[in-house]
Amino acid sequence: MREFQSLKFLGAFKGIFTRFGVDYAVMEKILRIKLTMDERRVPTIFGDTGKKKKEGNQFLKSLWVYGLYSLILIPFLLLGENYMYQLSLVFGMILFILMTSMISDFSVVLLDIRDKNIIQTKPVNKQTIAAAKIVHIMIYMTFVAGAFTTIPFLVSLFRHGIVFSLIFLFELVLTILLVVVLTSLLYLFILRFFDGEKLKDIINYVQILLSVGVVVGYQVLIRSFEFVDLNMAYAFSWWHFLIPPLWYGAPFEVFLNGNSSSHFIAFTVFAVLVPVIAIFGYAKLMPSFERNLEKLLSDTKTRKKSRNWLDEAGAKWLCRSNEERVFYRFAASMMKKEREFKLKVFPVLGMSLFFPFLFIFTYSVDGGLEEISGGNMFMFIYFCNVIIPSVVFMLKFSEGYKGSWLFRAAPIEQASSAYSGTLKAFIVKMYVPVFVFLSVIFLWIFSVRILPDLAAVLLGGLLQILITYRIVNEGEFPFSTSFEFAQESGGAKMLLLTLITGAFIGAHFLANAFDYGIYVYLGVLLLAVGIGWRLVFPKRKKATVAFG
Amino acid sequence: MIRENDKVLSIQNLTMTYGGKKVLNGINLEVARGEIIGYIGPNGAGKSTTVKIMLGLIDDYQGQVVIFGQDISSGDPSYKKKIGYVPENAEAYDNLTAMEYLVFTGELYGMDRDAAQSKAERLLRQFELQDVGHSRLSSFSKGMKQKVLIIASLLHDPDLLFWDEPLSGLDANSMMVIQEILAQLAAQGKTIFYSSHIMDLVEKISNRIVLLVKGEVVADATFEELKEMSEEGSLSGIFNQLTGFTEHRSKAKDFVSIVQGDEEYA
Repeated sequence: MREFQSLKFLGAFKGIFTRFGVDYAVMEKILRIKLTMDERRVPTIFGDTGKKKKEGNQFLKSLWVYGLYSLILIPFLLLGENYMYQLSLVFGMILFILMTSMISDFSVVLLDIRDKNIIQTKPVNKQTIAAAKIVHIMIYMTFVAGAFTTIPFLVSLFRHGIVFSLIFLFELVLTILLVVVLTSLLYLFILRFFDGEKLKDIINYVQILLSVGVVVGYQVLIRSFEFVDLNMAYAFSWWHFLIPPLWYGAPFEVFLNGNSSSHFIAFTVFAVLVPVIAIFGYAKLMPSFERNLEKLLSDTKTRKKSRNWLDEAGAKWLCRSNEERVFYRFAASMMKKEREFKLKVFPVLGMSLFFPFLFIFTYSVDGGLEEISGGNMFMFIYFCNVIIPSVVFMLKFSEGYKGSWLFRAAPIEQASSAYSGTLKAFIVKMYVPVFVFLSVIFLWIFSVRILPDLAAVLLGGLLQILITYRIVNEGEFPFSTSFEFAQESGGAKMLLLTLITGAFIGAHFLANAFDYGIYVYLGVLLLAVGIGWRLVFPKRKKATVAFG
Repeated sequence: MIRENDKVLSIQNLTMTYGGKKVLNGINLEVARGEIIGYIGPNGAGKSTTVKIMLGLIDDYQGQVVIFGQDISSGDPSYKKKIGYVPENAEAYDNLTAMEYLVFTGELYGMDRDAAQSKAERLLRQFELQDVGHSRLSSFSKGMKQKVLIIASLLHDPDLLFWDEPLSGLDANSMMVIQEILAQLAAQGKTIFYSSHIMDLVEKISNRIVLLVKGEVVADATFEELKEMSEEGSLSGIFNQLTGFTEHRSKAKDFVSIVQGDEEYA
């Protein structure tokens, strides 16, 4: 174990913690342990012996991405002196980044139940445990915020001077507090009213919704500002109090432009007061949070067995062997029930539902629906194929990956039917519903003339699923790898696979350049899917098992 | 009855409702120094809940729990300083090495870092785990991990031990060592609160057996006394009798016949 700089820095605030009834020395010990464990969040099989040993905090190593993102803030800082608009936008983005990171990376820390059995059984008071938890998250959030704002901060120091950057810094601290504490309070609220498995489902859906919501909100926000004149005066409405980024734009108006309208003052007060009140609320409610956390462990309700006729029909008609059928049903229920999987995949699905429309409407402001329906905009439906690689890749991961010994222990005759069943389940349960949903709306917008094109998109999708599987998953059983691997092995390969969609789009355009070209293209695709499927999943002769 | 200053633990009228269901139904228990209590009962009887309440993990119970003369509902965690705990399911921070975990636990109990370190090293050596002291717990077998957790519960020389299924995963030899450790600790005045499903062992180790069924204490006596009360000769027999479970033979028969496919809906 080593010393952590962040803990040394924290020592400066010892007094504050002590005043809150926190045993600082113990909290420091807990934090040191937590930070040490974070450095080791590497797959356990490599942990002790493997050559591929990767030490160091993987999370910290990924921070440069935020640095890159932060460049987007710079134009807003340079533009002018309409602080209310510019900085509300900047803080809107900061809040967005912090919130997403909080929900996707640190919910686990917040909802960790091991702490209860390991630390709470020791003579450590509850304030200390609660403080350790929130400081642990806060340390990382500070890193994220730091990575995301260092460059913009320097730019603003250079452009707007020292007072501006001091306000900026102070507000940054407040936003971190706001995000961490509000997320905790949100979980607390959910934990209060629900129990057991239901609760985990709700948290899961909240996470999914929030991660879709922030992306969608972000896109809408950016686009809405494209139509807004940056020199326009800000007009106040009461509901603006519900939009936190505006609170954080106001202080700049007040202190730098000397604007003392009552609503700007009120925003400024909100910016400071809400996080502070939230912190006190958190400190007060933390014990009941910990108590309700216990619910995560137990499930008191007995559930009825449910049988989905769609799954049954899919298994019956789409699968060629019994083995494949078994895996089809297995995969279908895994996709439906496994939360970690849903958390990784559903936001992507949600975005593929949303992006086609976003692009259609942003690229055609002038002509209206009439104009759109005659054009080539329907090609945006390819967004539902862009997501294929990342989702198919996810099919090999599972929280319960340890259970996969079963696949090796059971007398499975043809291992490849495991994946053919799983892929079919993916197609039926996830890909086709998204595709059909988009198609129906697209048919309404673009009329039935695009039917052949839609067919080409679907067949292209099927082919891409096959190609992706062939490249990333072959030779392994589905749901048999720990999610810890998901982060590292994605990357460049994933990007290349996504580009395959581009190739399909190119081919599609090419086909459309000729009369009846699309039908030729359809034929080629149909043939490719048919042959491809038989090549990748060959129907082997049944091996005879000679036992007893 | 127990003399006041010998009393380590006292539970009065402990009830606990969870989701509208009564999990504990008025438990009364007094424990004196040096007792080894086998806390047994069928799955879901409320054993773990009782232990969790005593450790302060659950605080919305009714009734009174006093440990070392302190009512634990006061919210002051200092009574835990003299308690050692082995959780069921061998929960631990798996990414830490055995030594790191042990030193951390020791420190949480207020031990000095160096003292915890040297003591942990010596105790690991006793279990012949000195070579893996700096390997991560995640690479440990179940038995090895269990030994580390047992050491973690004893490092700070506690007066009261709560061991929840402490022997799971241990081999027969290690079990004997642990059994002997328990006896010697008790002889020195430590109190041990112990729950297990291995009846033969509870029978051998405990000098007092508390049987919990559906949130109620249905028996609280020494093994000898229990034997006199019932016609069964072994603790598992007594267990079956007191929990009202007699049809194990017919249950087994039905089970096997289903395995063999005698039922029409196999």
